[in-house]
Amino acid sequence: MFVPHSELDLKKMFDELSINSLDDLFTHIPDALLLENGLDLPESLSELESIDYFNDIAARNKSDLVCFAGGGHYDVYLPQTVKSLTMRPEFMTSYTPYQAEISQGILQVLFEFQSLVCDLTDMELANASLYDGATSIAEAISVAINKTKRDGVTISSGLNPNSKEVINTLIDKNKFNLNYVELDNYLFPSDYDFDDSQAAFVVSYPHYEGSCQDLTELVSKAKDKGIVTICYVDPSMLGVLTTPGQMGFDIIVAEGQSLGSPLSFGGPTVGWFATKKEFARLVPGRLIGESRDKDGNKSYVMTLRAREQDIRREKASSNICTNQTLNAIGSAIHLSWLGPEGLYDMGYHSIQKANYMKKSLIKSGYVIPNDDSSLREFLLEVRTNASEVINKMGEKGFLAGIYYDDNHVLVAVTEKRKKTEIDDYILALQEVDNG
Amino acid sequence: MVSGGNASSLPLVGGKPEPTIKELSSPGRRASNFPKLDVPEVKINHESLKKEKARLPEVSEHDLVMHYSRLAHRNFAVDLGFYPLGSCTMKYNPRFADSIASDSRFANMHPSMPEEFTQGCLKVMYEIGNYLCEITGMDYASFQPPAGASGELTGLLIIKKYLEINNLTNKTEIIVPDSAHGTNPASARMAGFTVVEVETDERGMVNIEKLKEIVNENTAGLMLTNPNTGGLFEEEILTISQIIHNAGGLLYYDGANLNAIVGTSRPGDMGFDIVHSNLHKTFATPHGGGGPGSGPVAVKEFLKEYLPGPIAENKDRKYNWYQPENSIGRMHGYHGNFLVTLRALVYMKLLGKEGLDTLGAYAVLNARYLSSKVSKIIPLAYDEPCMHEFVTSVKDLKKSHKIKAYDVGKALLDKGFHSPTIYFPLIVPEALMFEPTETQSKETLDDLADSLKIIIADLQQEDIVLEDYPKNLPVGRPNELIPAKFLTVNWGDFELLEITE
Repeated sequence: MFVPHSELDLKKMFDELSINSLDDLFTHIPDALLLENGLDLPESLSELESIDYFNDIAARNKSDLVCFAGGGHYDVYLPQTVKSLTMRPEFMTSYTPYQAEISQGILQVLFEFQSLVCDLTDMELANASLYDGATSIAEAISVAINKTKRDGVTISSGLNPNSKEVINTLIDKNKFNLNYVELDNYLFPSDYDFDDSQAAFVVSYPHYEGSCQDLTELVSKAKDKGIVTICYVDPSMLGVLTTPGQMGFDIIVAEGQSLGSPLSFGGPTVGWFATKKEFARLVPGRLIGESRDKDGNKSYVMTLRAREQDIRREKASSNICTNQTLNAIGSAIHLSWLGPEGLYDMGYHSIQKANYMKKSLIKSGYVIPNDDSSLREFLLEVRTNASEVINKMGEKGFLAGIYYDDNHVLVAVTEKRKKTEIDDYILALQEVDNG
Repeated sequence: MVSGGNASSLPLVGGKPEPTIKELSSPGRRASNFPKLDVPEVKINHESLKKEKARLPEVSEHDLVMHYSRLAHRNFAVDLGFYPLGSCTMKYNPRFADSIASDSRFANMHPSMPEEFTQGCLKVMYEIGNYLCEITGMDYASFQPPAGASGELTGLLIIKKYLEINNLTNKTEIIVPDSAHGTNPASARMAGFTVVEVETDERGMVNIEKLKEIVNENTAGLMLTNPNTGGLFEEEILTISQIIHNAGGLLYYDGANLNAIVGTSRPGDMGFDIVHSNLHKTFATPHGGGGPGSGPVAVKEFLKEYLPGPIAENKDRKYNWYQPENSIGRMHGYHGNFLVTLRALVYMKLLGKEGLDTLGAYAVLNARYLSSKVSKIIPLAYDEPCMHEFVTSVKDLKKSHKIKAYDVGKALLDKGFHSPTIYFPLIVPEALMFEPTETQSKETLDDLADSLKIIIADLQQEDIVLEDYPKNLPVGRPNELIPAKFLTVNWGDFELLEITE
């Protein structure tokens, strides 16, 4: 399928090559390595048959649940305009823009993406994307290690547990100490003493549990010790939150799903990476720069290529090649669609709705341990077992949140949730969580 | 002659430069709209809330749509023309796969749902694991790596962990051919190995004698792609694998060139222990302008417990996540690029046994046919039958007319084609590497060869300025020094530069 050759074409091509069959192409391959009867796989399906086949698979997903789960991936409204533009075939089916003259479209959108990320976070230089939030944190830690030549990393425990696992995989534990600092009442201890053996201070904003704090003082204390400060930010809250740049961070990384990508079962989404210009030559991944052609026309081109693996090979600081360009394009278009007012509405509505939900839960006798410090995401203390509550709430039509521990569910409320959905959630919860 | 799929009309729209979205911004405009707040509004005091609004463009929806559509018109793509781009497998991406991946029952699944709620997603991952293992001759696969380079790193971390657990920590050297992709040595170094290069012989294959000299008790493994980056099948692969295995090392297969052998031959049968595949190459998922990809890693049975977990299993007619016991750990926040994986499964289902059995053969047929045509214009780098791609060199033209591979690539853009891969592999001077893939017609291949012939003749004329090419595109060659020197990577940077310089 998708091979265009007719019998007539094949005859002409075989004649050009003086062969009689496809098998004649492989006479130089040792017989022992040639598959005699081909692959042991099912017959092909037509498109029409495939529709049925994948309908059956899709129907096995509980896909109609009202989503109160977050943890980095949020069920925000993704407008059709953003989806349609991102899926334009000129973007979707193009290659990496090495040939600038025929890639100005992708190059300019990526340049706009970089600039939008900088404006949104108050940074000076953003790259053209990394794989996802989790791997971006690990890349940022590598930058800090390269910059400082130190071997310790101070990491806030209030990070998505999967992100911690990715950090533990990608940062060599034989060479570097990863020091996880426990949160104190869901906040990073403001009296924490940094020591100057540390390369990086990594903290999530808001914390995984949903609590949020002004990190300005901590950042300044860490920087005094020569530590590179790294903020893992929830970008879709930056319409209402103080920016990481305002708090003084050196590097910001983010899981960009909630800006431009559907939930996608976790991927493909996009990792954001932005920093100050002094770090430019340590930045992983692609960078797009603005230039001019010989006639003075504005043109964009990939730049600082000498950092990358195809040129520096084993001396490269990162091995990244394929990135998440299409999702970065989605982020740029979604941010442009939202504008300052839309991004504000998205954040403001979600914290109003989360606040309404927290107060209603408390009224119903529930405990929200981080009620005061949380914004759109918070911990719900359940009476029975958290994982059972999530399963039973599924039967009632709700994705209740993310299992946090046996007694807590992590609940997120996006701008998309309606008051009626919140009210019904609480009614359902009281039925299923009956200790 | 007018033929199917060729570049007889120019694919891109040019004209004046398109302003940035920021330049299109005007205060008070907006595209977004949200429902009115339906909960009682209360005053929320929190130290992290700011008073000012975010710095973002303010545009109408129509302006937004026109802007990004116009930018799309300035971008080449598989849907617009032919990419003879060696090592990248830019084949046709079936629309149908996109429609399945856009189904909200897949696209709107939250990644943190319990496995009972996500049986469909798990089935997708289980099924494609079976397909991929059969195609590559391996036993188990993990779909966490979101791209090829991440797959490479995964494979190397598996080797490292395997050596650690078997008390073979003296083994610190990874052998990589001098023709390898840059990601190979970069990944090996990231995994903490020392990189040792093995030379390529004059036929374009791994030099077996040199390999024997390099291999020793510290050899941890070899990274190889077969066919290699010269597009040639490593005929001595069984000897190579014996040399490495006898030294106690493992064999890693870089799946960059898997398209050449699908249905014909399998890395698992060649002796490879670990294989990564690029679903965005071999299995036709769209490249997205540079990503997302998907770089699943498949291993032989004895390495199953080292895979990044969890991986999908099927027990008692239910699907569940299995966590490998000695797992190297997560390579991605969740389950890799799931929707890319799903598209690849759709492609495999559409092709089925019939399509997959002949996939590699047709890819090789097209490359062999194109190489026959091109070799009459530019000499091939190796005098061996090519697989799915082939390398040529314009080193003679450089000597006689100062025409570089770069210039040929740029001139080809004018004819409506993407450039072939240039300056790769590094061991071939002034290399141009062509990979047509199986989805291009004979006429398109003929047209490329004809255009190449015209270009080479044009570029040799005395009065031409090589730097003027390409001439018919939205922009000419951008000055690459300005952004590299002045870091004009954010809007406003360039204007600032013009003021200060």
